[in-house]
Amino acid sequence: MLFSATPFKIVKKEKQADKTYLLRLEQAGKKKTRLSYKPGEFYEASIPGIGEAPISVCSYSRDFIEFNIRGVGDVTNKLIELETGDRIWLRGPYGTSYPMEELKGNSLVIIGGGTGVAPLRGVLKYLEKYRAENDRVHLFFGFRNPDETLFKDDMKQWDRIFDLNLTVDKADKGYKGRVGLVTQIVEKSGLDNKNKVALVCGPPIMMKFTIKTLEKLGFNHDQIFLSFERRMKCGVGMCGHCMISGFYVCKDGPVFRYDKVRGLPE
Amino acid sequence: MGKVLEKKRLNEFLGEISKGADLIAPVKRGTLRFETVKDFDSICLEGRPLFPLKKFFSPAKRDVFGLTLTDKNKPFEENKPRIRQRIVFGARLCDFNGLLRLDKLFLSEEYKDDHYKLARENTLLLGINCDPPPSEYCFCESMDLERYYDLFFHDLGDKYYIEVGSLKGKALVKGLEDYDFSIPPIKCDKKLDRKDIAHYYEDPTWEKENEKCLSCGKCTAHCTTCLCFDVEDKMDVNLNKGRRFKEWDSCQFLNFTLVAGGYVFRKERLARFKHRIYHKLQYFREKFGLDMCTGCGRCIEACPRLIDFTDVVNKFK
Repeated sequence: MLFSATPFKIVKKEKQADKTYLLRLEQAGKKKTRLSYKPGEFYEASIPGIGEAPISVCSYSRDFIEFNIRGVGDVTNKLIELETGDRIWLRGPYGTSYPMEELKGNSLVIIGGGTGVAPLRGVLKYLEKYRAENDRVHLFFGFRNPDETLFKDDMKQWDRIFDLNLTVDKADKGYKGRVGLVTQIVEKSGLDNKNKVALVCGPPIMMKFTIKTLEKLGFNHDQIFLSFERRMKCGVGMCGHCMISGFYVCKDGPVFRYDKVRGLPE
Repeated sequence: MGKVLEKKRLNEFLGEISKGADLIAPVKRGTLRFETVKDFDSICLEGRPLFPLKKFFSPAKRDVFGLTLTDKNKPFEENKPRIRQRIVFGARLCDFNGLLRLDKLFLSEEYKDDHYKLARENTLLLGINCDPPPSEYCFCESMDLERYYDLFFHDLGDKYYIEVGSLKGKALVKGLEDYDFSIPPIKCDKKLDRKDIAHYYEDPTWEKENEKCLSCGKCTAHCTTCLCFDVEDKMDVNLNKGRRFKEWDSCQFLNFTLVAGGYVFRKERLARFKHRIYHKLQYFREKFGLDMCTGCGRCIEACPRLIDFTDVVNKFK
């Protein structure tokens, strides 16, 4: 049936920041199928009695799904209250994925802001397995402050195997790391656009300014991929809530190539 | 080549074909509405119901699941659709063409809405021609409507000419006499200048017409092809039993694009107005090759301020 969901259980719960948790989910039923989601896609996470919320995957695996959830509304605030062993009902995966096959051979410039880093983590988990397919991987991740930095364990690994540039907007005096807006770090990087593709995800205003920065570095509009989020209900391109102009973010997105969506009215 | 039916035998004919099925037709009870008919004399073919046929295919509110929170293994109980056989009689081409548009979204390649699918399978469509158009706001002549029906009735004074549109329709009229007639195309006084409106998005004429708008949502409610819906969970007082239901929503409402956290993506009334019209005349066409609008004029007639988007589009040079 169209809206049917399958039960998953929380097998791991790790706090990332204030009201933000990384949940690892495995199928709860006796019969387990190979999961087939790709980075960029999302599931509709369902809590009976409360509702559903679209959550991007931030992992890459056949056996489990990881979500990074921040409590902002009814469903997400309930999700972060759950503990290991509790059930969440999922339907999906939905949406478009980052075109990792087509991006083979390109260097990747991955730019994330705040919780926007979560879907990009899915890409990195893919790249951890299929490293050789992409030449260089440059990461630019920005968070509001050191406490809000997500995936601190992953960051250590990524610092070793990728070119990680981590920054925070503001920090207390004792902070040893880099301070500055992520767009400024990208601009100072001196990267050119040769053989490169940029994957950008974050708050709308961060994506807007990141695009401007990439344009300054010479990136063409078909070298930039964005990920949008909107109010979603059905998740399958029917209910109309997530429409941007003629595109359904849940079906034609959430991953969009910038030249396809540039200048579209809301 | 079609069939002929004397008007005085209409009720007899309807009675025959609707054995074991519900008959849905326009009925005048204060206002003209599509209803399930018990008394065939109550059927009224003057004018067209302001409220479209879509409610019989995508109801305003429908439970999708029953909820039982104490059942940790199966809190969702599927509400399987159950729809009797129905015959629609006396609807116009705009309403049937509306169904063809709804099909594109509710019966897409990847996802099919179960209730809508069953409703479409279990409904025969018997239309009536518009000669003249039933409302001063009709402009379907400008909209490339398809002759889509199982049967199509054309008033010839004391009798109806019936055009057959499908095998199911043919079976209903096999007892009737053959008759040769060619139904002329519908002629409307009101017209919509068909043009590409893409580069008129910033034209100030939109704002002038939209000044009157209250975002009441009557346009979307009455639109033959508007189908946007919300999905919500509602619990009973015992907080154990409840339902997850679909309910009509409107892109004209401020909270249509509201996300958790409070941000609204389409905040301006003007942007919401333009989104609806552009969806009807451009976005849908780009995806599916046909306009979402069927020229029924209901949105104009229903609007408390008679906002008319055709006036705006017709002004563009």
